[in-house]
Amino acid sequence: MNKQRNRDYRNRIEKALATPRLQQALHNFGDAYVVARQNAFAGLDFEAMRTEIGTMKDRVRENRQDLLAEFTRNAEAAGAKVFMARTAADANRYIAELAKQQGVKTVVKSKSMASEETHLNQALEAAGVDSLETDLGEWIIQLAGQRPSHMVMPAIHMFRDEVAELFSKVTGQAESDDIPHLVQVARERLRQGYFDADMGISGANMAIAETGGIALVTNEGNARLATTLPKIHVALVGLEKLVPTLEDATNIIRVLPRNATGQLLTSYVTWIRGAVPCGDGDKELHIVLLDNGRSALAESPHCKQALNCIKCGACANVCPVYQTVGGHVFGHIYISAIGVILTAFYHGLDKAAELVRACIGCRACVAVCPSNIDLESIILHLREVVGEEEGVGAGKSLVFKRIMRNRKLFHGMLRAASLLQKPVTRGERTIRHLPLFFSGLTEWRTLPAIADKPLRDQWRSIPQKVDKPRYRVAFFAGCLNDFVYPELGQDLVKVLNHLDVEVSLPLNQNCCGVPALYSGDRETAVALAEQNIAAMLDEDPDFVVTTCPTCTMALQRDFQDLLGDNPVWAEKARQLSERTLDVARFIAEKLDGSNKFGVPAEPERVTYHDSCHLKRGAGVWQQPRDLLAGSGRELVEMQHSDRCCGFGGSYSFTSHPDIAKRILGDKIEDIEATTADCVAMDCPGCMMQIRGGLEKQEKAVRVAHTIELLAESLAEKTDFGER
Amino acid sequence: MLSGFIEALQKVGGQAREIETVQQAAAYIADRVKGSVLLPEQSSLDRAGLAKALDAAGLEVIRNGWRERSADAEGGVTGVNFALADTGTLVLDSTEEALRLTTTLPEKHFALLDPGKLVADSLAAVPYLRDFHARSPRNYLAYITGPSRTADIERVLTIGVHGPRELHVLLLPGLSDDFFEI
Repeated sequence: MNKQRNRDYRNRIEKALATPRLQQALHNFGDAYVVARQNAFAGLDFEAMRTEIGTMKDRVRENRQDLLAEFTRNAEAAGAKVFMARTAADANRYIAELAKQQGVKTVVKSKSMASEETHLNQALEAAGVDSLETDLGEWIIQLAGQRPSHMVMPAIHMFRDEVAELFSKVTGQAESDDIPHLVQVARERLRQGYFDADMGISGANMAIAETGGIALVTNEGNARLATTLPKIHVALVGLEKLVPTLEDATNIIRVLPRNATGQLLTSYVTWIRGAVPCGDGDKELHIVLLDNGRSALAESPHCKQALNCIKCGACANVCPVYQTVGGHVFGHIYISAIGVILTAFYHGLDKAAELVRACIGCRACVAVCPSNIDLESIILHLREVVGEEEGVGAGKSLVFKRIMRNRKLFHGMLRAASLLQKPVTRGERTIRHLPLFFSGLTEWRTLPAIADKPLRDQWRSIPQKVDKPRYRVAFFAGCLNDFVYPELGQDLVKVLNHLDVEVSLPLNQNCCGVPALYSGDRETAVALAEQNIAAMLDEDPDFVVTTCPTCTMALQRDFQDLLGDNPVWAEKARQLSERTLDVARFIAEKLDGSNKFGVPAEPERVTYHDSCHLKRGAGVWQQPRDLLAGSGRELVEMQHSDRCCGFGGSYSFTSHPDIAKRILGDKIEDIEATTADCVAMDCPGCMMQIRGGLEKQEKAVRVAHTIELLAESLAEKTDFGER
Repeated sequence: MLSGFIEALQKVGGQAREIETVQQAAAYIADRVKGSVLLPEQSSLDRAGLAKALDAAGLEVIRNGWRERSADAEGGVTGVNFALADTGTLVLDSTEEALRLTTTLPEKHFALLDPGKLVADSLAAVPYLRDFHARSPRNYLAYITGPSRTADIERVLTIGVHGPRELHVLLLPGLSDDFFEI
């Protein structure tokens, strides 16, 4: 690991965290975005639309050589010059040399992320050519000497007073910070620029093979001016912008503005093919197609889907990490989830080494991606690659390789830890303060103690009363349920027995491997997957149930990914995946159990937190709500119920505790605003995080797993019967 | 479809007015523009005698020397090839530079549209788009949806950055039924 690079990164985080108005602005933006987007897609089938785009883009990627040839042929037939730039430097050199040859003094630019990627402005400056950004946001950051912090709204991190200050320097007089006034200043100052410039540079949202034309999707009108007034037009176009037909381009236009800004359509969509009339003659049109890592990305078995991106920026808009630290921390040139991946391929893995760990893995981006890209999985893969290149950290590596893979040793150490922690727990179930250099861990949340006796050691003594079992299920407890919250396992038995289901706890089960996988240690994850598949299928259960959605995803998805091309294990991994269910879903769907828990006289007010991996991984959110409402709870929805709580496993302990703490703060605000007595959830990790935060802040709201509440209902019912 | 078009246009900040004669169009424009308007040659508007009507309404009509004179003109007047109902979008074949300048430089854009030239949405527009490409080897086709806008400072929506601040669509039946004529 590069120490200086890491220090710089930590400094950027610290600085962003110390700018509360940035966080406020990005949070407000995120809230407004969700509503605007929902309205924009009203009456449309987003899933169908994104499947269509994803499939089309897959096809483009596979046939890109043919499409590229078709595009080039058609563009050249219409009078355009097409240049294929293998690298950023090639693209810059071509454009700078063209400018020199044609005696270009100034260029006007409309917004182009590809030109940010190649640092074109610097290259032009070095060639003695002035460039003027004309997109309002781009002009602002050009004046500020910064880079975009968002792909669609480059200056979203800046505020009106800062803009007024920049504009005042340009005009030489004090400009007020009234936004319409600032926009007017930009209009007036930039207008002459289009007339004076000898060259206009644009990007393109699409390059259409069928016509050899490009399409620009814009709002301000500057791209229309920049592609009309100057004699020369250069379009810098990433190879991934190729689409086969006008229908395909239209499908993107139907989704892009809706998903980017919640607009049905941008003010302008401009279709340009060939050397159109300009002044007294014809325009000189150059199309520079940019590879710069795109072909490598297209060939990457694990990451190639990222090339399907249509650059809408939605993955940032919904990202809790982005909302907390902004795009100057969570990004390089391209930002947020897609930015992490593109940075690795376009700018180098070292530029992305920190960023791949900055993702908390909540999958909010995956849910809104208009090209159906599994961003989280690709980032996870890159984390493995960084882990292989730079190591996962000596301490972690030792724990994963030497300890976790050896179940007896790992569990033995957890038992030992339960004894060793006595001085700090003082016999309580909660650790409020840790001494010395561990104190940071309990500064903003309490931590649960490791149980005296893990679930596995209690199992034989937990009574099970099922006369004629409907099903026999194996319980995959996961480390937290087993060693930290064994009482949750007891409740699970009560609840499932009540529904005539017999439960077993296969003792050879080990950690699901996600902590190792998410830290980039694939080898350990594979070893654990094999151990767990063998353990869980051993008794041939009807189903395997889980109380932790991250474990659910491991058993349902990750084991198959890890062992998919292993002939010994692939089939078994598939069997385990098919039998695995989150327990809320199991009860609701397989046992029809929503109304089998009685209704209390005084219903408790409960709000529900959707765990990331339960909602966006396992696709479960209605089932636990049905169980809670069916058992007589008054359900009050919180704002942002499916926003991450900031746990993220080692994310909140070692990798990014400072960011995790802020995300937890947001969650606690939302919980409190409901005035509920209890917050329910279906994830021991979320329980640990949210309970820890609420306890540390001494809030009265209690935290419970849905299964615990159902078990309480059973207890109440029994009490009632005995009275 | 027409009411859907008008509603969508108004939602994005455009104005719509149903009229019956070019004189009404000229009067509408003269009410909102002082001095001069840009009016490139366009067969549907020329056939309807719009230039004369604008002149009669007291406006100076600029019909050439775009680059030099566009800065003085407060308004630009164009026809429309056809429009998309669901988003309130005007489609203009702007391959002629004059049309581009007329729809980008002045503060106010007045577009005369025959309400018969509506299609449901952008998907229904694709066959026409393809035809435009087949008819001419070089194209600059514009979809215009409301006035120019930005939200680049603190996400505050502000109308009129580099393009027109106002977009007025004058719906005039009988103007043209040809999607390839502007």
